[in-house]
Amino acid sequence: MEVHREDGRSQNQLRPLACSRNILHRAHGSASWSQGDTKVLAAVYGPKAGTKKNENPEKACIEVIWKPKTGQIGDFLTSLLIVLAFEVWYAGNFQNILHWCLGKPEKEYEMILKRTLESICILTVNPNTTTSIIVQVVNDDGALLPSAINAACMALVDAGIPMKHLAVAICCCVAKTGYVILDPTKLEEQKTKAFAYLVFPNSVHSVLPEGSLRVEGEPIENGIITSVTHGIMPVDDYFYCLEPGRAASVKLSDFLRRNLQQQSTDSSKAG
Amino acid sequence: MAAKPGSAPVTYSPNLGQKTRPPIFKDNDLDWVRPDGRGFHQCRPAFFRTGAVNSASGSAYAELGSTKVIVSVFGPRESKKAMMYSDTGRLNCNVSYTTFATPVRGQGSDHKEFSSMLHKALEGAIMLETFPKTTVDVFALVLESGGSDLPVVISCASLALADAGIMMYDLVAAVSVSCLGKNLVIDPVLEEESYQDGSLMLTCMPSRYEVTQLTFTGEWSTPEINEAMQLCLDACNKLGKVMRTCLKEAASASQE
Amino acid sequence: MDGYNCVFNPLFRSKENRLTMGLPNASGDLSTEVEVDAFRRLFPLRFYEKHLLESIRPDARPLGRARETTIALGAVASANGSALAKIGSTTMLAAIKMEVMTPSLETPDEGCIAIDFHMPPICSPIVRPGRPAEAAPVVAKQLSDTILSSGMINLKELSLVSGKAAWMAYLDIYCLDADGALFDTALLSAVAAFSHLEIPVVSLNDDGKIVLSEEQGLSDREPVNKERRKINLSSIPFSLTCVLHKNYILADPTAEEESIMDTIVTVVLDSSSQLVSLHKPGGTVLAYTSAIQDCIALTRQRVKELQKILEEAISGMEVD
Repeated sequence: MEVHREDGRSQNQLRPLACSRNILHRAHGSASWSQGDTKVLAAVYGPKAGTKKNENPEKACIEVIWKPKTGQIGDFLTSLLIVLAFEVWYAGNFQNILHWCLGKPEKEYEMILKRTLESICILTVNPNTTTSIIVQVVNDDGALLPSAINAACMALVDAGIPMKHLAVAICCCVAKTGYVILDPTKLEEQKTKAFAYLVFPNSVHSVLPEGSLRVEGEPIENGIITSVTHGIMPVDDYFYCLEPGRAASVKLSDFLRRNLQQQSTDSSKAG
Repeated sequence: MAAKPGSAPVTYSPNLGQKTRPPIFKDNDLDWVRPDGRGFHQCRPAFFRTGAVNSASGSAYAELGSTKVIVSVFGPRESKKAMMYSDTGRLNCNVSYTTFATPVRGQGSDHKEFSSMLHKALEGAIMLETFPKTTVDVFALVLESGGSDLPVVISCASLALADAGIMMYDLVAAVSVSCLGKNLVIDPVLEEESYQDGSLMLTCMPSRYEVTQLTFTGEWSTPEINEAMQLCLDACNKLGKVMRTCLKEAASASQE
Repeated sequence: MDGYNCVFNPLFRSKENRLTMGLPNASGDLSTEVEVDAFRRLFPLRFYEKHLLESIRPDARPLGRARETTIALGAVASANGSALAKIGSTTMLAAIKMEVMTPSLETPDEGCIAIDFHMPPICSPIVRPGRPAEAAPVVAKQLSDTILSSGMINLKELSLVSGKAAWMAYLDIYCLDADGALFDTALLSAVAAFSHLEIPVVSLNDDGKIVLSEEQGLSDREPVNKERRKINLSSIPFSLTCVLHKNYILADPTAEEESIMDTIVTVVLDSSSQLVSLHKPGGTVLAYTSAIQDCIALTRQRVKELQKILEEAISGMEVD
């Protein structure tokens, strides 16, 4: 079935990808990632000694700080502060309320990113250390969380943090008539009835014979690391999403692999 | 009331009209009945249960009329890093309200005044020297405020401490009295508290007949004080018995 | 092991012993209860794996069974609707307070729902006053996403006077005891609170404010919402959280299980079996299609159970 999309893409076509690493000098690793007009910057600091409270000291701790696009947070603040001014005075606890209104929308993304990155990093190599990942949203035009995951993942590679494999994230939209479109823009995200953010491991190039890396009859890259859905969809539609999502994740991991090879040869020349 | 102009929706509660009502009774109006039909010197029936929160070291739930309170006790556990060495234990208290506890939706914030009052009421009853260097945390949440909140919190907290196995000289029972005109009403409900001319709260250890805290607000004459204190002491005695039975029942239930 | 016993013994909470006592020879090589407890504390994962091999959990549940669930409606009289939900020892108290607001220009016929989730310090040893729990804003966001996107409540039903006044439903959920599956219990209590919600009869007074009809002695005035005393709940969402570990799927995990096995999948289905949310934030175990299908199948079963429990709670109220 042919679908009309605003920007003339076919339903399984991703927006142009761009990724550059090592763009910040002070950070231990950094990357910028863009999918169409969505652009995210990620910086990695660490591993630093010690873990946060309540974290297992036998493993490395990963900390994610999400910085939304400044314009948004400003608007949000001014509108909220007018209303809250009275209540703040009333409660006499300014900090708590500020924390409450600022921290909320980002906390969920921070938690998802933290848990996703924890699952791809080898945490036992650097026990009792903390690695901080700062994610700065530069522009949000749909598929924000997947872009942030991709950016963070590339920044971790750039910082040389030991990882089991990469994570590739993709957004699948279930449009009203039941078909799936990939990598939506913000407008498409709002128009569709439901969407799913899916994160898969990257596809593996292995010397081992085909099929030896299969788990329960499925190749390892079919396993879902992270899944976040929004909106109502029939259960079957979710499984329909997995198919194009996995296909796209193969394309994405090829892009990542090319990008990593390219830049590593560049830097070896420069060095 | 949080009616202030602003861009985000500002809301108001539709039942704010109550404030304009006249006081419920005037001087010498002795025929008046209390909102819940009790006698002036009659307490609300008290319900206590220990072990309400499994993740706490000890906990208790108390319900007096529509006042519903839950108290958790944690510890003795490591004191905060910033704390100096101390060869007696520390007691840390916190009282907070749910947003829906009061008739008008509140902020759900900590109640600093009650927190320190709770601390002072319990401090004298706990054998702090039995857990040196460590802290016992007593956290209370008022689920529904129906009047006499602080006394209920205090009684409930002492039960929670007992449930946690913290050594105490005795249970602490607390009761308050409101002065409305010339009448003294014990264990006032929210409505009575809002019209009171003065109040007295007494917390004591019933078996030892010792008072741990006594607070007055408003104008009192000496005979009134004597009468109110005697009322409170008697009520604390009865309340102490109810609390004791609750503990005994919990103990016999766990033995089976 | 023997060397540790004396050192760690005082640290162990006696409450947890109860769980292991009833087990038929859970770990045969350890003779006394204290040793089992020590083993549990020192090697939690191995302790669990020994149980999983026997397809049983330390609290004597089969892997796919949820804990005992209860709902009590109308727990708080000062709210317009309230419910206490308990799954195992995880306890949530949800209450709705209705206030009046001026609807926005874009949606003059719609009310609003504000959902907040609180973890007061009483609920868990990890939460301290002044420092909100990390999980609280995450669960709050998940809850409001789920409830608002499920379409359970038609916001148009919350309208009072078009363009002038509409209801703002403040739903506050308090965690009273945290022992795993926080989201499931919170959602259940929220749904139950909405089904208990009774909207007060109100009318417009001379100042253009909405006031309670009986309170103001304005019974002569026409109430603005005569018929709309209850909210119609269509397609109620119910959820089940599962923990994945190797090939095992453990339904409705306790806090201990969530901390030991870190792959958590939460499935939300509505009463017409549509998928409202499938939430899996990372975790060491990759979820393959079959595992996802199993989780959804478990959730389908659980939805039926929860529907029944909710219906019983509601009909219990009506008898009273």
